[in-house]
Amino acid sequence: MIAQQLLNGLFLGAVYALFAVGYTLVFGVLDILNLAHAAIFTAAAFAAFSLAVAGWPLPLAFLAAAGLGGVMGILLDRVAFAPLRARNAGTLVPLISSIGVAIIIGAVLRGIYGVDEKHFTTGGLDNAPAIHLGAVTFTTVELAIFFSAIALMLGLSWVLRASTLGRRIRAVAEDRVAAALLGVDLERTIAATFFIASGLGGAAGVLTGLEYNSVTLDMGAPIELKGLAVIILGGMGSVTGAVVGGFILGAVETLAIAYGASAWRDAIVFGVMFVLLVARPTGLFGKRALRQA
Amino acid sequence: MNRITVPALALVAIAALVAPSGAASKGPAAGKTVHVGVIADVTGAAGVYGTPQKNAYELANDDVKSGKIDAGGANLTFDVQDAATDPAQVVNLMQKFMSDGQTPIVLGPTLSGEAFKAFPIAAKASFPVMGTSTTAEGVTAMGPTVYRDALAESQVIPTTVKRTHDKWHYKTAAIIYGDDNAFTKTDGDVFAREFKAAGVDVIDTETFHIKDTDFQAALTRIESKHSEVIAIGALFPEATKIIQQAGKLGIKTHMIGGNGLNSPEMYTVAGPSAQGTVVGAAWYSGAKYPSNVDFVKHYTAKYGKGPDQFAAQSYAAAQIVAYLVAHGATTKDEMANGLKSVRIIQTVLGPIGFDANRDVKSSPVILSIIQGGFTYFH
Repeated sequence: MIAQQLLNGLFLGAVYALFAVGYTLVFGVLDILNLAHAAIFTAAAFAAFSLAVAGWPLPLAFLAAAGLGGVMGILLDRVAFAPLRARNAGTLVPLISSIGVAIIIGAVLRGIYGVDEKHFTTGGLDNAPAIHLGAVTFTTVELAIFFSAIALMLGLSWVLRASTLGRRIRAVAEDRVAAALLGVDLERTIAATFFIASGLGGAAGVLTGLEYNSVTLDMGAPIELKGLAVIILGGMGSVTGAVVGGFILGAVETLAIAYGASAWRDAIVFGVMFVLLVARPTGLFGKRALRQA
Repeated sequence: MNRITVPALALVAIAALVAPSGAASKGPAAGKTVHVGVIADVTGAAGVYGTPQKNAYELANDDVKSGKIDAGGANLTFDVQDAATDPAQVVNLMQKFMSDGQTPIVLGPTLSGEAFKAFPIAAKASFPVMGTSTTAEGVTAMGPTVYRDALAESQVIPTTVKRTHDKWHYKTAAIIYGDDNAFTKTDGDVFAREFKAAGVDVIDTETFHIKDTDFQAALTRIESKHSEVIAIGALFPEATKIIQQAGKLGIKTHMIGGNGLNSPEMYTVAGPSAQGTVVGAAWYSGAKYPSNVDFVKHYTAKYGKGPDQFAAQSYAAAQIVAYLVAHGATTKDEMANGLKSVRIIQTVLGPIGFDANRDVKSSPVILSIIQGGFTYFH
């Protein structure tokens, strides 16, 4: 049983981590919490559903929907954050502004898709072949989801560490004014950050929709709180921390149930986080880890 | 109308059975306008349940106009207000309907948790209310004007356990239920009670929260205990994922559930692993009652998909109110008195009445999921 449970936790953690890295990336660069991240996660899942219905192959629908998530991120920045940034509105006002955008996105999705749960007619979990390997069972869809999440996170790590864009993002995260003085185009770098962060959030939404073959208006609600917990645990702004935190959350959730405490699952998860944060208040990878990437 | 006499009701019930569709009568309320309040969660988390309810009342409005539902010539309308899955809004809407001076009865809200907040207010004012999907234990105990036409889980699950136990002779069971929702919590409690009464050992109990999507850890644990039956206390979104993920994990154990699993889309959404799952329910879309056949046909034509139990129970409530209006009930007191006197009314749920506790009196149907829908469990 334990091998299967660890595998369950690994699959769960991969999606949590993918959602959380986008969340934390924006925080690392702008010091603001983007509470519309879950709305973009949901919107991308619906977009992938529509494309799949229109006959697009799933991998293509996945990439297009994640790209759409990225574009939504840029628009989100232009609408909700950039005007406030220009007026030095602090960190609380943009937070409220992002909640407003999230509500608008939700209302638009409800208008377009109605309230019914949507299902991928092909490619979802229910018609994926199951693979039995010793004591564990998984499906090709779960495997594809897991490796897609890992590939995207490795890609992000490479971009931040080795590319010019990554260096610019890290410079802006370190000191916005100094970066601008040194010739970094601040607004373009922030737009690129939003594109990457929201693209990853959108990808997490599509993968979640595929994993459970379910796309709903409120699918972002549970992961929003968990994502927040993950980035605090990992260290606000730390991409590595968000990845590690995501896997820890997936494992703790699964093991809490495996050892017979399903009724206490959330209490155990947040209890473990509380203990870790008391031991290390800045999170596992400390504050400002994005600067070192 | 002061009281509807039993013989008169029986005559009307017989007349309703033989009357041709569309033949509206002229009753004591003919020409009067009767405005019925409906509270449903059309949006928000429970929008998936409230929307079919709204659809059913809109269809009922059409059917009153066309005479398919006989309101005795009264101008009967169902005014659906969206509570947006917000208990505070439910309370506001209940107070609005109760105080507007023109609403004699309120139907809804959608969720039991909402009913526990709104019904005491109505009961205190002796205002008649009827739940159509609020099936948790204790709902009708809130007051003498609180009714429901939805078979409670406590009425459905005992028969489900008995019938499956008689056939499969199982000795062990596991229960998985949502512990943060009045409906699913009731499922968990009633399954545990009924298994105990049947001498079945509950060897594992797992809980989850509404909106959870991953049940593999709980199902893996259940599988490790080798129970002979898995009882599911869940609403449609979670139930389909539990069944789907059990199939993915290769779990072949018999699965049983209550009203939450009674949706025409169970097989479509949960996939082949849903085949054979036993569902105890208040309504069967394939039941041959004349008004049910018409209801399923017209609802499907109007909305492009078949009705679910939420829609059926709402439409039945509209039929009950129309019946009372046809007999002259147009004020809250007349509605309350009429409901007290009801014996049998023909609805899409079949012939129903109310017991001394104001719960619906009808028989649960025990169904088995097959490709494309349900069949009776034998």
